[in-house]
Parts: sequence; C-alpha cells; structure tokens
Amino acid sequence: MTLTPSGRHPAGRTRPLFAILALSGALAAAACSAPGGDAPSAGASAPAAVKTTCGTEPVTLKGYFETGFPLPKTLADAFTAQFPNVKWDIREDQFAVITQNAPRVLSDDPPDLMRIPQMSELAKDNLLLNLDSYASAYGWDKWPASQLEQMRFGSNGERGAGPLYAMGLNFSMTGIFYNKKLAAQVGMTQPPQTLADFDAVLQKAKDAGITPINQFNGGATGGLAFPLQNLMAAYGETAPINDWIFNKQGATINTPGNLQATQHLEKWIKAGYLAPDINSQDYAMMMSRFIGGKNLFIFSGDWESGNLDKQMAGNAGFFLMPPAQAGGKQAAMSAPLTYGISAKSKNADCAAFFLNWVATDQKARDIGVKVGGSHPMGPTDAYMPAVGQDTVTASTLAAGATIGKDNGAMDFIANATGAIYAKSWTPQLQKLAAGQQTPQGLLTAVQKDYESQVKG
Amino acid sequence: MAGPLAATAEPATERGRRRRRPRSAWLGWLFALPAVVVYLTFVIRPLLLTVQYSFYDWNGIGAATWIGLDNYVRLFTDSELSATILHAFELILFFSFVPVLLGLAVAATIRQIAQSRLALVARTVLFLPQVIPLVAAGIMWTWLLSTTGLVNQLLSAIGLGSLTRAWLGDFDTALPAVGVIGAWVQIGLCTLLLLAGMSKIDNSLYEAARLDGAGPLREFRSITLPGLRQEIGVCVTVTVISALASFDIIYVSTQGGPGNATMVPGLEIYYLAFAEREVGMASALAVALTVLVLLCVLPIQRLTRDGTR
Amino acid sequence: MIVTRRETLTGRVLLVLLMVLTVLPFVSLFVTALHPSGTYPDGLSWPSSPQWGNFVDAFQAANMERLLLSSALIVLGVVPVSIVFGTMAGFAFGHLRMPGHRLGFLVFVLGLTLPFEGLITPLYYQVRDMGLLNTRWAIILPLIGLFMPFSVLWMRAHFVTMPDELSEAARIDGANTWQLFWRVHVPLARPALTSLGILLFLWTWNQFLLAIVLVDDPAKRTMAGALGAFQGQWGTDIPLLCAGSLLILTPTLAIFLIFQRRFVAALLQGSLKG
Repeated sequence: MTLTPSGRHPAGRTRPLFAILALSGALAAAACSAPGGDAPSAGASAPAAVKTTCGTEPVTLKGYFETGFPLPKTLADAFTAQFPNVKWDIREDQFAVITQNAPRVLSDDPPDLMRIPQMSELAKDNLLLNLDSYASAYGWDKWPASQLEQMRFGSNGERGAGPLYAMGLNFSMTGIFYNKKLAAQVGMTQPPQTLADFDAVLQKAKDAGITPINQFNGGATGGLAFPLQNLMAAYGETAPINDWIFNKQGATINTPGNLQATQHLEKWIKAGYLAPDINSQDYAMMMSRFIGGKNLFIFSGDWESGNLDKQMAGNAGFFLMPPAQAGGKQAAMSAPLTYGISAKSKNADCAAFFLNWVATDQKARDIGVKVGGSHPMGPTDAYMPAVGQDTVTASTLAAGATIGKDNGAMDFIANATGAIYAKSWTPQLQKLAAGQQTPQGLLTAVQKDYESQVKG
Repeated sequence: MAGPLAATAEPATERGRRRRRPRSAWLGWLFALPAVVVYLTFVIRPLLLTVQYSFYDWNGIGAATWIGLDNYVRLFTDSELSATILHAFELILFFSFVPVLLGLAVAATIRQIAQSRLALVARTVLFLPQVIPLVAAGIMWTWLLSTTGLVNQLLSAIGLGSLTRAWLGDFDTALPAVGVIGAWVQIGLCTLLLLAGMSKIDNSLYEAARLDGAGPLREFRSITLPGLRQEIGVCVTVTVISALASFDIIYVSTQGGPGNATMVPGLEIYYLAFAEREVGMASALAVALTVLVLLCVLPIQRLTRDGTR
Repeated sequence: MIVTRRETLTGRVLLVLLMVLTVLPFVSLFVTALHPSGTYPDGLSWPSSPQWGNFVDAFQAANMERLLLSSALIVLGVVPVSIVFGTMAGFAFGHLRMPGHRLGFLVFVLGLTLPFEGLITPLYYQVRDMGLLNTRWAIILPLIGLFMPFSVLWMRAHFVTMPDELSEAARIDGANTWQLFWRVHVPLARPALTSLGILLFLWTWNQFLLAIVLVDDPAKRTMAGALGAFQGQWGTDIPLLCAGSLLILTPTLAIFLIFQRRFVAALLQGSLKG
C-alpha cells in the first residue's frame, strides 16, 4: 500500500494529456458529422391494407401497461380466453416512468400496445401508428366524435383534428369521491350544489377534526392538478382550457379566471383543508388512506369505482365539482384511457383487433365497467351491463350523462405536452402546497414552460 | 563456442537485452491491446461523442443543429440547471464530510479495541451498506423516512413528536434527508478504512505521548491525524465522487423532487437525454459534471499524497 | 498498551451503536415485509399476523430464478474478461514497460474518476446502433470497458512490485514473453487477482444506471437493475416491495457473509489503490 500510481503526480504529466483530449474533442466536434439521421417517416400515412383479425397462428402481443390498474391485464386474459392463439408479454411501470420512457421505448424497443399518457410529441415524431385505416375498417369513425377527438393529431401540431394516433380502452369521468360515514358526521346529506356550499362542508369537516381533502401530490405526479382544473372549469369556460391542452395557436393558461381558481386552491391550502403531507404522498397512498376511512374527500376518477365498490361497499359516494353559481354548468375531466400502437409494431393488426374487441365484445364491456369502472368506447346505444343502483359506479356513469348534456368534457391539463406534468405542473403545485409559490407565479411559470415545450 | 565470429560477439546478456527491447516494444503493446481496444470503444469514444453532442441541439431522432456554446451558456444562466450542481455540492457535506469526520472520531475511539472479537464482528457488519446496491439503500431509507416510518416513530417516542414530517417530501428537508442515506452508506467504509490506517501507526508513538501526559485529543491531533493522511485522502476522494455523480439513491427515493429540491446533475442528465429528448443539453451537463469531478479530485489527491509515505 | 477502562467502554458502546444503526434499516425491511400486502405499517411494528406468504408472492412476482441467472450470466461475461484484459495490460505497463507505457497508462488513469453519466448518452446510441440494445451484451461490453482503468491500475500496481530478475531468470531458461506471463507471473499474482475479481463482481452485480438505460427487460438486467424494475412495478405496495427487496438482496448478502474476510480486505485495498 505504499505504491502510488504515477498518474497522480503533479500537473506536469496531466497537463499535456488535457491538451490532447481537448484538442481531440474539438476535432471530433468539428470534423465528425452531426449526430442523428433523418426522422423516420414511417407513420406519416396509415397502412394501406389492414387485416381485421388476429389470424390463427400463435401471436405474442407485447404490452407496456400502467402498474396498479388491473383493467388491461383482466381484458388481456379474457381476450386470450376467447382467442387462445394470442399470448401476452406484459411489462408494467408507474405512470411517471412510462411518460419518461415513452419516446425511447417506442423507437428502440417497440411494444405492440402501450399506455400513452401524452401523445402529441410521440405522434409528431412519428412514433405512433396512424390508425385511420383501422378506424374506417372497424367503423370507429361512426362513434360520437368527442370520444376520438382527443386522440387526433393534425399536421399543424394541434390536437383535436387530424389522423387518429391512439385509441381508448374506455373514457373516464373524474370528480370528487367522498366517505359517506364521515359525510354524515359533518351533516352533509347531499352533495354540495355550489362552490360556496363545498367550502362550507370543508370547514365543517376541519372543525370536526376530520381531514377534509387528501390528494396525492408527491414524486413526479402532482395530483393537485385535479382540484385545480375543476376549479378552473368552475370559474370559467372549458373551451379555452381544451384549446390550451390541444396546443392551439395562441392558447394560454394564464387567464384571470384561472387565476381566481388558483387563488381558491391556495385558500384551501392555507385554511388547512388539505392533509399536511400531500407533497410526499403518491397515488396509491392516497387511495389506501381514503379506503381506510382516514379522510372525507379525494379527487380521482371512475377507474377507482370498481375498486371502491369492492373495498368500501356502500360507503363511497361521488359527485361532480359543483359550479360557482347555483344551477350553473358542470364540467369534468373526461378522457379516454389512451393506448397506442407503436409505428414499428410487429403485430399491429392484432393489436388493433384487440382494441376493437374491447369496445364491442359484450364480455369485454362487462369487464370494462365492473373492473375499470368507466364507460367503454363505442356507439351510444351499445350494450351496457347492469349496475347496482347504490354503487359508486352507477354515480360515475350517471355523471357522464350530465357532462354530456352540459358539454363539459375536458382533457387533463397534465396532458398538454409530454413534459408539462413532470417538469412544470408538479414542481409548481408542490411549491404552492408548501407556500413557496404564488398563484400568479404558478400560472406564469407553467405558461412559460408550455411555450418553450410546444416550440421545441 | 569458440569460432571465427566468437570474438566479435557481445556478451550473451547484452546481446539478449538488445534483441529483447525492440521485440518487447510491440509485444508489450500487444499485451495491452485488448484492454486498450475495449477502453477506446466503450469509454473514450463515448466521452468524445459527449463533447461533440454538447455543441448541438438534438432530440435523438431527427437531424441535429449546431448551436456552438449555447448549451453551456444555458447551463450557467438557467437557475434550475445550475441549482442541480449546487445540490451536488451540498450532498458532498453529507456523503463525504460527515462519514469522514464521524469515521475519524469513531476510529480514534475504538483504536484500542481494534483487535477484539467485537471489532471483528463489526468489520463485517459495518461493511453491509457497501455491499448492497445503492438502489436497495434508497428503497430502505425511503420507507424509514416516510410519514409513518421508523424515523418519525423514534422521534415521537423520545418526545420530539413535533418534528415529525415527511422528510423526503418536504422542500427544506428533502436534500438533507437524501444526504443522510448517503452518509449511512459511506460511514462504515470510512470507519474501517481509517481504522486499518491507524493500525499502521507505530504504537510506540502513542505510548510516548501517554507517558508525556498527552490526553486523547492531543494524541489525535499530533499523531493520528498526520498518520492517516493517505487514508483520509482516499475516503474524501471516494465519497466526493459518489456525491457528485449520485444517481441511484435519488432516482429511487425522490426522483429529484419535491419540485427541484433534490435534483442532481447525474439524474438531470438522464431526464434531459431520455425523457425530455434534449441530448445536446444533457451532454453539456455531462461534460460539466466530468470536469467538476476532476477539478475536485485532483487537489484532494495532491494534498494528501505528497510523499508522506 | 496503556489503556483506561473508560476508553475501552466508550469504544465498545460506540461500536455497538454504529452496528445497530447499520443494521436497523435491514430489520425494518424485514419486519415491514411481514405486514399484509397493500398496507402502510407504522414504523417498526411486528404485525399481528405475519404474512410469510409475502416472500413467496414476491419471489414469483419478481421471477427470482431468472433474475439470478441473468445477473450470474452478466458477471460471468464481465469479470473473467476484465481480469484477463486488465492483467495483460497491467503486465505490459507494469513489467514490460515498453516505450510509451507511461502515456498509455495515463490515458487509463484519466478514466478512473469518470462518472458513468458522463458517457451514458452516446453509449446508448452506440449500443443501439450495434443492435445490442435490450440484450445482456449491452451491459457486459460497456462494463468491461468501464472497468479497464481500475483493473489495469490494480494489476499494474502488483506487477510493479515484481523484480526484474525473476523475468530475466525465466528468459535465460528459454521462456518467451507469453510463457513468462502465464507460467511465472500470473500464479504469483493470485492474491491481487482474487481481490480484483471480488471487487469487479460486486460492482457488476450492483450496477444500476447501465441496466436501466440500456435494457428494458428486468430478466436481462443485473440484480440492482431488476430491483429498480421491481420497485417500478410493485413500489406502491410497500410490504411486497420490502419482501422483494430482501429477496433480491439475499444472494449478495449470502456471498458476502461467506467470503467476508476476502471482501473486506479487497474493498479496503481497492479504495486505497484507487
């Protein structure tokens, strides 16, 4: 141990070495050709001839799904039961990781079917398969247009119109779930009808020592986006919000109405209506606490309905965010559970067949409602399984009708760009929750990030 | 071997040596060749490419555009990016200074019982954190530091219940909490390294100091510390590198959050390159990180290896 | 040695305290793994009904046999080759000392402090263009390269201590350089080789960054990479995560406990030389 490698001696030896390396670095930079080739143009036009079957040969479909949600796996198992030649190779990851991995995985290790949190950049880079031919072959374009709207992406860089680049396993409804027992304790006999009523209930809960709202806001997923967007829709129109999410020219999130909404959220935070440790909770912890009866309200979606009907039978209720004025229009985030087929997928036909099966097969629709809790895709008169009157699932399905009537469906603000959720909304909302950011500061920061991300 | 040429022949060894020198020149390089090839292909080439990429704006799929030093400018002007470098330095406090200082204190205190059975068991136990993957340490401590974890449980038990919080989710305590994880991983290594170094210090020096009436502190300053120069240097170097290049622990525990509070260069490079598709910016940060590590390590080596042994 | 009773006691107490601090997280992991799946236990608390079945569930969920096999294959790919290449180069730089050996060695030393993140981005595209993405080679080949600086340094440090007379004597006996290397020097280098092997084994087994960037399939990663995937998939179920983590740690811990003396010696020497 008395040996010292000669390399560690005074600078005399290392200086020429640095010079050599710096020079070669510069040479490499100048002389070598720029990295990267041409972008793949494979997905630009839809495949011409498509098969509307999985065939009879053994097929293994590669799936990349979201962990913690049993719906896709249950559907996959039921599909194999009906079509034994199709096997599945499923990989699961958490939402934030899927979002991170999406560009890389779609281009270098393409799955056949993948949960797509946000599709604009993926579609722009031609990583997703253009599904228009399947849409016309299977008749998806005859369904209500609003179901497919969010999954269309145009050549002008805006969502909402253009070729279809993804499909939904169902479309979800979001709102507020509440614990019926605790609600009775604070004297809430029916869902609040206005925002002011809601505030009053929150105060009553706090006074009674019950945690009013618990919401996941930790890690890379800032769940405060749910109540924030609900408040935005309560204070303003849904159309500008949707325009911003769809990257329409000149859209901005930094509006007076949204400022009021953010201030209202800040009011809740300052009044102590939210659990003190939301910045360290992930989604699973929020659900676990709610099911354990630890708080009164959570903001979530009907993908939990089946779960809640099983674990909190008869004790869970649901209502849409009340409007600011009595009798006003109601709005909610309602988005398809987006799944895409990689542009390089080897079994695209079979994957598309599966997607169609999910929307049209009776057993699949049963699973969709009972396990998934949400409304399956498809024509409005398609088969719907019977749902018990008293279940949360019934409430969430009924809410869909209200939203349809009020034309209040919105996509999630977290879906505006690929990185807006993890890099912008989440850190800003965490800072707001910790009292380190102002409502105006939050909106300004998010709009600035949005503009640079949409450009680049 | 007398013969006509014998008189002009050189002595056997000299002839052998001269013949050997040219042969071993390329033979030596032949021996080194496999290592050199693998090293050049998988280390030097990517390193040079990182430098090259840092001058471009590239999303990894399409064509790249030359932007010169723009990425580096952005690195120093963007407050979030430069904050990641600051965080890495803050982590040095926890990953490096704490283990070294605590290790010194502990090693000095247990010097006398260094040969006992207890110390032998301790040698194995204290090495456990170095043997497990850093990811495992991250997972363990994420659970311990959570709202219902052991740390809060202990705090409540000793009456400090008001201090309990979600250590990794709180803006102010997240980075120190990550630092604690790193300190836990490194402290065993430093203690044992310093202890091993201490066993080489001549005992007669300590005897003499005792006879002169020196107390433990004096002993420490005049005998132990100078004698441990090399080991301290190693400890500091290894832990500083692990702090600056940290990735595993933060990836698994906070993913850089809350907000940007625990983002470090290593993790930011990963996110920039693979999630945000900003390969040029990621490469610039990577170059900066590499240079930073060198700048930190070379002075430490210079200070602690200067011919003491 | 003049030693006071009090100093010995303080020493012992301190040592025990340190050991408890080190072991506590492992204990916490074990205890939490026994709680019912999906719950969030309060700190360290023995469950009312220990769920030993969690370990079985985690074993199946993680596909432990495939993980072990994958890690073993990667180690088999990396360690022997790295040792051979490193020893040959160390022999060349340390003993043969051909012209230019100092510069060559310096180039290797430069790589010693290189953080892996410094080259992971181009490495990804390079491995992808080689068509090796998602295979075990994606981890094996770069690791061999990345371990070269340390291996070369380590073995060179050993060969520098070998006297020249040893080689001269062998040459006079007619040995060529390869025989000199293989028959004379390598057997003498066995302690250094064993220590190097242990260090490289540990670093390969625990390699995380390369595993998660270059390989998607957890069954083709290292143990540490597989743990990352396990946390990704089951991370929301804390008792299951703890059970899986413990299972994944067990082979490492077992090997460490069996070879502990060699490990500790190697790690200590490795830090000093490196």
